[in-house]
Amino acid sequence: MSEAVVAHNRLIAPGYYRMGLQWKSPGVTPGQFIMLRVSADSLDPLLRRPFGVYDVLRGAKGIEILYRVVGRGTKIMSTLRPGDMADIFGPLGNGFPAVKDPGRAVMVAGGMGIAPFYMLAKDILKRGENAALFYGARGRTDAAIATDFRKLKGLKVEVATEDGSMGEKGLVTDIFGKKAVWLAGEASVVYACGPSGMLKEVARISKKNGLRCFVSLERAMACGIGVCLGCAVRTGKTAGKGTDRKKYGMVCSDGPVFPGEDIEWESL
Amino acid sequence: MKKTKESTLAVDIAGIKLKNPVMTASGTFGYGSEFMPYTDLEKLGGIVVKGLSLKPRQGNPSPRIVETPCGMLNAIGLQNVGVEAFISEKLPKLKGVDTAVVANIFGETIDEYMEVAKRLDASDGVSGIEINISCPNVKKGGIVFGTDPGEAAKVVGAVKKSTRLPVITKLSPNVTDIKLMAKAVEDAGTDAVSLINTITGMVVDIEKRRPVLATSTGGLSGPAIRPIAVRMVWQVSQAVRVPVIGMGGIMTAKDALEFIIAGASAVQVGTANFVDPNIAVKVAEGIAEYVERHGTTVKELVGSLTTG
Repeated sequence: MSEAVVAHNRLIAPGYYRMGLQWKSPGVTPGQFIMLRVSADSLDPLLRRPFGVYDVLRGAKGIEILYRVVGRGTKIMSTLRPGDMADIFGPLGNGFPAVKDPGRAVMVAGGMGIAPFYMLAKDILKRGENAALFYGARGRTDAAIATDFRKLKGLKVEVATEDGSMGEKGLVTDIFGKKAVWLAGEASVVYACGPSGMLKEVARISKKNGLRCFVSLERAMACGIGVCLGCAVRTGKTAGKGTDRKKYGMVCSDGPVFPGEDIEWESL
Repeated sequence: MKKTKESTLAVDIAGIKLKNPVMTASGTFGYGSEFMPYTDLEKLGGIVVKGLSLKPRQGNPSPRIVETPCGMLNAIGLQNVGVEAFISEKLPKLKGVDTAVVANIFGETIDEYMEVAKRLDASDGVSGIEINISCPNVKKGGIVFGTDPGEAAKVVGAVKKSTRLPVITKLSPNVTDIKLMAKAVEDAGTDAVSLINTITGMVVDIEKRRPVLATSTGGLSGPAIRPIAVRMVWQVSQAVRVPVIGMGGIMTAKDALEFIIAGASAVQVGTANFVDPNIAVKVAEGIAEYVERHGTTVKELVGSLTTG
């Protein structure tokens, strides 16, 4: 829909890239996403790919996305060079809601789920609020993408790796769970993004400890604007407006951020 | 006499007047108004809204879609707001928009088809009805009506009795001989046929050894199915006298013209709307350019194929 120009496409860790896209974008809320057509006029891959906005380029001259090469689409993306055109549209979806006077904003990220938190962390820190990031990765290589977060002044970063090669050995939900009681005492708000099993656990721990929790979901989606009805998730409550959204919410248009207690996790 | 731009592109599908032959396909364009921020609906011949049932439907469990080579599988399960909410909430948003609005309808029983058609007949702003007898993703109705000529004829006859609006019957490709289905619905009184709906398919997750879709199978759409669709449109257009609306993987004006030359009086753009919400307008513009370049009209192009 909208032509963007690749500003940079940097390898930041093996398999991980940060791509800057010069683009006259409207304002972006942390947690929103864009739909990128991997190659113009391509029939294969056919559909656009959703990417959470990682950061806004200086002077609001565009956006940056963080991606990992996992399939054909992202492999093609990794070959784009500065100056290449990219077809994107957005920003789409509802981002993370700002909570008034949180004791602390806690971001819990698993793997690529870290992507929407860089912008959120910067926003929270700018407001002078306390922020912490719990990040879980498979190992040292994947955990390397958290490097930028360590440079954010005032952000507490705790890492867990499955193989124990960096930070604590175990899952991010382990380190989050250990701190949950303490965080609840601070009336913290929890933002989580990552695999659905991880999100389910974060939502459970949050609920148990009375923590407000928002989760950002990822589902296969075709359109990004709520019409293909492909990215449905079962929601206990009314996630959107109208009679058609009672049981299923669309990740793209009702989300991707949902209150943790609204999701029927067994259906994912 | 110099032909006006309108007359070179306009087509008439059983009384549904289209300013150009490009419509959007049901299930890929919401209820129309969702696309207003992204495209100019008035540059389209018409829009076909998401399939409507008598009562709202929640649709199928997730995952509902998966991408495939040059296409995608879907098993949405006809999630829709129901005909009443469509008439009271969705249709008014299209009021004053100069494009034909076709309501796609679906029922689990013949009575339901009739009831939905009656409600639409009494509403204002609908130019025609497209009967979905061919959705592969619901357990009851749909495909049963879509694969049995006798059952399909019963649905069409019943809907025709329930409305004065022009009736288009959307055919399933999941049959041995689509010409037989087309003739059956023509004999039952349909005013036009549209084809093809999606082709049943399946994708397996080899790590989990499970189907990717929650419903196991889904409907394949996108450019992957286009040659099959063109072939079927060609066959059907020779077998029936009613107008044929062609669809299946149209991404460009060239794709659309293949259908028109093969025998389609109009086309529907479907899956492509997901890739680019403005793509149907681009298809219409490309057809206009072709028509001008060849000094012809869309009507002259319909079925102008030479074989042998």
